[in-house]
Amino acid sequence: MLSSVAAAIKLIPASKFTIEQLTAIYNQTRVDYMVPMPMNPARLAEYVSTYDVDLEHSLVAMQDDILLGVAMLGLREDRVWLTRLGVLPNIRRGGVGEALTAGFLEQAERLQIHFAMLEVIKNNIPAHQLFLKLGFYEVGELLVLRRPPFSQPPDTVVADVERLDRTDALDLVRRDRGTQPWTNQSESLFNASEVAGLRLMLADGSRGWMVYQRQKFTLTRFIYKTESGNPSDLAYAFLTHLHNQYPRLDTHIENIQVADPHLPAFYKMGYVESFRRIEMWRGVPPASLVGNRE
Amino acid sequence: MTKILIVEDELDTIELVSRVLVAHGFDVVQASIAEDGLAQARSEKPDLILLDLGLPDYDGQTLAGWLRDEPSLQSTLIVAFTAWPEETVKKMTESYGCAGYISKPIVSVKDFVEQIKSYLMPV
Repeated sequence: MLSSVAAAIKLIPASKFTIEQLTAIYNQTRVDYMVPMPMNPARLAEYVSTYDVDLEHSLVAMQDDILLGVAMLGLREDRVWLTRLGVLPNIRRGGVGEALTAGFLEQAERLQIHFAMLEVIKNNIPAHQLFLKLGFYEVGELLVLRRPPFSQPPDTVVADVERLDRTDALDLVRRDRGTQPWTNQSESLFNASEVAGLRLMLADGSRGWMVYQRQKFTLTRFIYKTESGNPSDLAYAFLTHLHNQYPRLDTHIENIQVADPHLPAFYKMGYVESFRRIEMWRGVPPASLVGNRE
Repeated sequence: MTKILIVEDELDTIELVSRVLVAHGFDVVQASIAEDGLAQARSEKPDLILLDLGLPDYDGQTLAGWLRDEPSLQSTLIVAFTAWPEETVKKMTESYGCAGYISKPIVSVKDFVEQIKSYLMPV
């Protein structure tokens, strides 16, 4: 029965469906996940816009009139991103996930793009195995961190602080920050609203910058760089200024690389780990991902 | 009567939990998104809020933060209701001011009710 499901499915461009339909199928595929991350249509629409999801090349799996699963395709220059992949719980292990992922790779070929990225939740063994089978390889482990609002932040670290508006903040984001997961690439910030930043210099001459998005209830999408000095000290100084400025906002940051030297500052400021993801690539990373963007 | 607010987006789970709690003498109110959860908490003043951490508008941690900021709700018990791994949920509930957590899915109705009672009447 399971293989007959895979044989009978059709892959339809996601652009043929309304955002409400896409939200419904996405939520249904995640209902039993350890970290379900459900969305409403407004959140999914924001996701599509922020992460350059191309609905024309994203896919919905159908059999007869029933939606079985979804795979979305992010598109930036010479790279694609597989995201929101999910299959209804009752038909998993029947080849629908593989058909969607293979369909995603065919869409990339049609776009003449030979490099793909994705993140898979750590310990989602079936998905991880599927991606390995289809030619993806592991490149690192990523952290999702939270910090609750209303916890009294420590006093601000004495520093020269310059607050940056959107234009100046995005000017910094354009510069080389090394290879980043899709969600933290410069384009994500260019697409986001309410972006601002801080440039900071400590008494010992350490300096750097941080850019963030301030949503109605949440601080998110932190992008930062230490230009000189100790990254952890500098990050701690940034965080004291940021959380004293916005003490009532929840904080949610995604896909911080486990080897990020700024991490100790986050833990010192009361951030806690939500879960981990494994970043995987397929193909040779293009210059737009790893090259110097200075 | 002890009042419990369930904030949960999964309809089957809401139905099951409501049925079980009502059968055990609790007054139950429901919300399926965070914004309604906050509104219900303000108007209904529940004794305990059973909070799903994954909600479609804002997630459960964000709602816990709002609830903790509400003077009239600061002493209301918040119990996370989640399938997250134990170590993670412990850290998360502690930092967001929850009294504790109950794991999903409900395996034993009897144990579930006992867990609810233990938060309401700690030994």
